[in-house]
Amino acid sequence: MSDPLSKAATAAEIARAVAGGKAKASAVVEAALTRIDVTEPTVNAFTDIVAERARKRAAEIDAGRHRGPLMGVPFAVKNLFDIEGLPTRAGSKINVDGPKARRDGALVRRLEAAGAVLVGGLNMGEYAYDFTGENAHYGPSRNPHDPTRMTGGSSGGSGAAVASGEVPLALGSDTNGSIRVPSSLCGLFGLKPTYGRLSRAGSFPFVDAFDHLGPLARSTEDLALSFDAMQGWDPDDPVCTDRDPEPTALSLGEGIDGLRIAVAGDYFARGGEPEAFEAVATVAKALGATRTVILPQAAAARSAAYVITAMEGAQLHLPRLRTRPQDFDPETRERFMAGALLPGSWYVKAQRFRRHYRANVLKVFDEVDIVLAPATPASAPKIGQAMMKLDGVELSVRANLGVFTQPISFIGLPVVAVPTRQPGAMPIGVQVIARPYNEQAALRVAAHLEKQGVCVATPA
Amino acid sequence: MADDKPDIARWVDEEAKAIGLPIAPEYRANVILNVERSLAIAQPLLAVELEDELTPAPVFRP
Repeated sequence: MSDPLSKAATAAEIARAVAGGKAKASAVVEAALTRIDVTEPTVNAFTDIVAERARKRAAEIDAGRHRGPLMGVPFAVKNLFDIEGLPTRAGSKINVDGPKARRDGALVRRLEAAGAVLVGGLNMGEYAYDFTGENAHYGPSRNPHDPTRMTGGSSGGSGAAVASGEVPLALGSDTNGSIRVPSSLCGLFGLKPTYGRLSRAGSFPFVDAFDHLGPLARSTEDLALSFDAMQGWDPDDPVCTDRDPEPTALSLGEGIDGLRIAVAGDYFARGGEPEAFEAVATVAKALGATRTVILPQAAAARSAAYVITAMEGAQLHLPRLRTRPQDFDPETRERFMAGALLPGSWYVKAQRFRRHYRANVLKVFDEVDIVLAPATPASAPKIGQAMMKLDGVELSVRANLGVFTQPISFIGLPVVAVPTRQPGAMPIGVQVIARPYNEQAALRVAAHLEKQGVCVATPA
Repeated sequence: MADDKPDIARWVDEEAKAIGLPIAPEYRANVILNVERSLAIAQPLLAVELEDELTPAPVFRP
């Protein structure tokens, strides 16, 4: 049990302390604001801090006005979430000239309704077209475990804020891996829920076909508590599911009995550094998973995810590419421009293939409940590093950090990224993948690994 | 078969003109590089053969 005012405190520990009268929400929030002040020069996680709003909300909680499972928990959101009164940057300079948000994004409202307290907006790769956490306008977010290294992206500030202990909980978005990649590189638990499970209303889009929102935290319980608080239909997001919420927090301790767990072979067993596969082996061993399964045509799935991303993203930004190209981050501008020039037949084929691939992968989930795969092909590269060697081949960091996450988000499967770390090494994560809407199974597996001490997230 | 290889620079120039996207000279080389990279990454998808019956799965609900 950590001191609720310390950087090691989890959201659940804080909420229990505040609900039980052992800590004041105001004191918890003030401690977080002080940590942010002290830590920011090192990690550069925040672009906006809403200190007065947070203090007001915390005082209301202490006055008994808001109760809930996340009572008094300070949290922050990737700056593509709307925050009332602020422009929604989405990592860009251009959006700062746009309108200020008139209300908070749906998930911000849901977390605050559960008693949590928003403290600010977080740095990210421009328009989420990024796996590094670097940003030409706001500077790179820096990995708290080694500030010369990348956080991963695009939810880089979310990774840095939680891994440094500034806040116990952050929200990110994941289109091709942008929650799972920073979770892996920063040594965190991250949940990319089923596509459509959580409302995306009041967030700046990137690729509607794959955009997901979700939490990053230092414990499975915090993922479950926040996920449960955010579930539920929202008419403002046309793909949000109308299934009833399926709470996960109470079943976390049920263990892994009855779950059939396998390791993804073939595509997911090559093209990475040994550390990526050693992480999977460590987790598989702890779970007693000896079976290997193949997700058929994963390479084509990654290819199709790339095509849909490039083309939808470019189409979204085409008006800005025409009028303000000089105001884009140079690292995204020409990739967006290239995406605008690709043939429409590629896009339609990628969407047709998506249905084919989904059907074949779901057959695998008739045989198993959980599939394990690497989250990233390597641990955190150096900030500014353009190329990395994978399997002896020199490849672009930007294009390849997401090779193992892209074929999974392509069909919207729920994933918990779990952290592993060898002594003296940087952290690296493993994807715990389940069938659609079975977040509960993935969270149970993550909780089991955490309880065994195999997957632990400690603030830097 | 070298003649079958697409002329990416021409592709970029003509397509950009067709869709009305001005590309400044200082961006052009990197746009060409990224289209080349996209062509390479798209190959596994383009190589797949799909049945005529396989339609996309839209989420649009009237």
